[in-house]
Amino acid sequence: MRLKIAYMGAIAAAVFAFAAGGIAQASPAGAHTATHHHKKHHKKHKKHHSSIPQHNGGDHDADNNGGPSDGDGNI
Amino acid sequence: MATATSSRRLLPALALAGVAALLAAGCGASSGGGTTPTTASHAATGPFAWLKASAPPSGWKIARLPSGKAALAYPPGWRAIESDPGTVSAALMGPHRRIRGYLNATPQGGRETLVNWARFRPAHNHEEGDRAVQTVAAAAGLRFTQGTGSCVIDRYKTISDRYREIACIVRGTHATTVVVGAAEPSAWASLAPDLQRAVSSFST
Repeated sequence: MRLKIAYMGAIAAAVFAFAAGGIAQASPAGAHTATHHHKKHHKKHKKHHSSIPQHNGGDHDADNNGGPSDGDGNI
Repeated sequence: MATATSSRRLLPALALAGVAALLAAGCGASSGGGTTPTTASHAATGPFAWLKASAPPSGWKIARLPSGKAALAYPPGWRAIESDPGTVSAALMGPHRRIRGYLNATPQGGRETLVNWARFRPAHNHEEGDRAVQTVAAAAGLRFTQGTGSCVIDRYKTISDRYREIACIVRGTHATTVVVGAAEPSAWASLAPDLQRAVSSFST
């Protein structure tokens, strides 16, 4: 009986360890979200002072006028 | 007796292995989110089965980046439109100067990579002010005419319209370049084949 309890405990510990691994695996996404939030803040701030105003200003390209987004990874 | 004891000892180990295998399979499916995490170039399947590297259809115009490092074909009836410096764009215009269909090629310029593309592109669209950005599908290791790419299909709202897009980052022999094909959802069924041909024939 004691042996059985010990085995059950081992199973529970292993499952818990695996689940914790999953959570740890998910944490980069959480970190990404935090970083992303910071970047977004920074980016919006940058945009505010950019020489390419959004929404019908600046270079008049599509994505500044409610059109589709271009492939620019910066602006 | 010894055999019975061994079996008893073996059972929990087998159970553990089974649980581990199930959890591992579950993790793979959820983290993928439609992404095929591979670096090897391969023929596209599933939502990207249309992506067959090929020459531009005859009669299409070719827009080249000012650097000369990428060529984007666009269909008859579309026209080149104003675009950021160093990039090219073409559009099919609708009433009231609305853009119904859109193609763009832009040199890699930020932190976008073939590896992070499935996350980067929708996040970047959101950063640009698009709302309700939703990823439909993503894949990596896709074969292009002169290289390998990662693609995402997503949809979003702008301040005045809605779009669905195919956006790919392609590492070619000359450069790494982003190609985007987008259309209003109402025009997607009719324009998607042209957008797909433009992306399939994109070279960089």
